[in-house]
Amino acid sequence: MHSINILSIKNLKKSYGSKEVLKGLNLDIPEHSIFGFAGKNGAGKTTTMKLVLGLLRPDEGEIYVCDKKVSFGQTETNKYIGYLPDVPEFYPFMTSSEYLQFCGELCGMDESSVKARSSELLELVGLAGETHRIGSFSRGMKQRLGIAQALLNSPRLLICDEPTSALDPIGRKEILDILYAARGQTTIFFSTHILSDIERICTNVAFLEEGVIALQGDMSTVRGTYPGNEYIIETVLDGDADKLVKAFPELKAVNRNTLVCQEDNGKLSQVLRYMVDNGIPFYKIEREAPSLEDVFMKVIK
Amino acid sequence: MVLIIVFVFIGILNPATAKMIPWMFEVMADSFKELGMTVSGMKIDAMTSWTQFFKNIPMALIAFLLIFSNSFTKEYQSGTLVLVLTKGLPRNVVVLAKSLFMLISWTVGYWMCFSITYAYNAYFWDNSIANNLFFSAATWYLFGLLTVCLLILFSVLQNNSGEILLEVGVCVIVGYVLKLIPVTKKFSVLTLADTAALLAGTAKPDSYIMAIVISLVLDCICIGTGVVCMNKKQL
Ligand SMILES: Nc1ncnc2c1ncn2[C@@H]1O[C@H](COP(=O)(O)OP(=O)(O)OP(=O)(O)O)[C@@H](O)[C@H]1O
Ligand SMILES: [Mg+2]
Repeated sequence: MHSINILSIKNLKKSYGSKEVLKGLNLDIPEHSIFGFAGKNGAGKTTTMKLVLGLLRPDEGEIYVCDKKVSFGQTETNKYIGYLPDVPEFYPFMTSSEYLQFCGELCGMDESSVKARSSELLELVGLAGETHRIGSFSRGMKQRLGIAQALLNSPRLLICDEPTSALDPIGRKEILDILYAARGQTTIFFSTHILSDIERICTNVAFLEEGVIALQGDMSTVRGTYPGNEYIIETVLDGDADKLVKAFPELKAVNRNTLVCQEDNGKLSQVLRYMVDNGIPFYKIEREAPSLEDVFMKVIK
Repeated sequence: MVLIIVFVFIGILNPATAKMIPWMFEVMADSFKELGMTVSGMKIDAMTSWTQFFKNIPMALIAFLLIFSNSFTKEYQSGTLVLVLTKGLPRNVVVLAKSLFMLISWTVGYWMCFSITYAYNAYFWDNSIANNLFFSAATWYLFGLLTVCLLILFSVLQNNSGEILLEVGVCVIVGYVLKLIPVTKKFSVLTLADTAALLAGTAKPDSYIMAIVISLVLDCICIGTGVVCMNKKQL
């Protein structure tokens, strides 16, 4: 089922002047996935997306969208793609439905289907009752309109560049919900540096680091790559934590009464016995699966 | 075609102003003319008025270029262009539609300006005193057309309105220098803006043919290069 790759990037290289941003990037996005693309600021996420859209000229490498090669400067493959830029801007003198109308004409949709589709999408993104001009829109509203225009021609691939980074937590959740709701119709490729967003909705993830993909795969595989489960031990008395650290130097003190014990060194049972023997009271002992953030930190180390 | 018209229609923000400005300049020019008549009391006829027209029209051209200098750049900077391109609009359509709009604006603006002056002059005096009137108007129009084409070319190449205007200015200066050198004078398109001799009847329209042909060829080169460069532009 996941054999078709909607987007596949092979050995992509791109530099700005002497600065090499992408150094041989390989990426495959299976159909019907929600693909999270993580990387630090300046890692080259936006650059990658613009290359996919044929807006920038790659120095080397190939990009295929729906098995068609992307050629720089041409807009042919873009008809499969819906794009939401990091800071979407529209012609400010239009209203949102006028703008969608205009986009519909650009993609050669017929008028009645544009009307039906745009009211459906405005409903989806929560701009249905909005009759003001885009010039008066807030950032979050523009982001919503951006998603609506990107989905207008029912693209097979939806590319969103940091759709959530400028929004407040509620707006962020709403945008993520919209993306999640769109997953049935399209494949979603979105970049972000907020890893919890990826954890929330993504089925696949890739980390971009130093111009290459440091790690990619579906969520469970990626989490499984670095098993490192941890136990968190929280003692009642501050002095007890110190005592434990003295007895077991491999324990890490996180703060005055919290210790972290790595699962793989097999020390946990000894620690627990020591605690029982010495009557050390505790608030909690907790097993924690690695978050994506931990994985990310390990990857970029 | 519908697509081009739609793009033309919304592509540029200031269509109304663009059409107003040449007309406003004309109104102002007329009032200056009337002022000049009362203050200096010099002899005014259609000829003086036409000389004034060709003195004032460069201002209209400069205003036109200023207004349209950010037609491309503001779309690069705000990212609205990227959005329509990623919707599948071919890049050359963008350049051609914008060019068409600018050229039509210039044509309408210029000839409107001309007709207003013509009507005024016909009413007050007699237009037949000016020689080669329509021919001189046409040569000046072609000169304006060339600067507009240059503006389009540099708009594609540059991301900054100031630089675009500067480069158009440099081109005009180059044309001017070519005109000063006797050998190249015949080839300089800037002779197109030299209407005084034509009006006075001391120059023959024939001598302008070379410049006219060159300017038309340059127009096509500018637009053609613009389209090619747009396809190669990194956005
Ligand atoms: N037009 C440009 N000219 C020169 N350098 C550029 C240009 N665009 C981007 N860069 C450089 O390329 C690098 C990658 O930029 P890019 O915008 O792709 O990063 P990003 O991953 O999207 O970052 P962010 O999370 O901040 O959006 C940055 O270091 C930036 O300085
Ligand atoms: Mg970015």
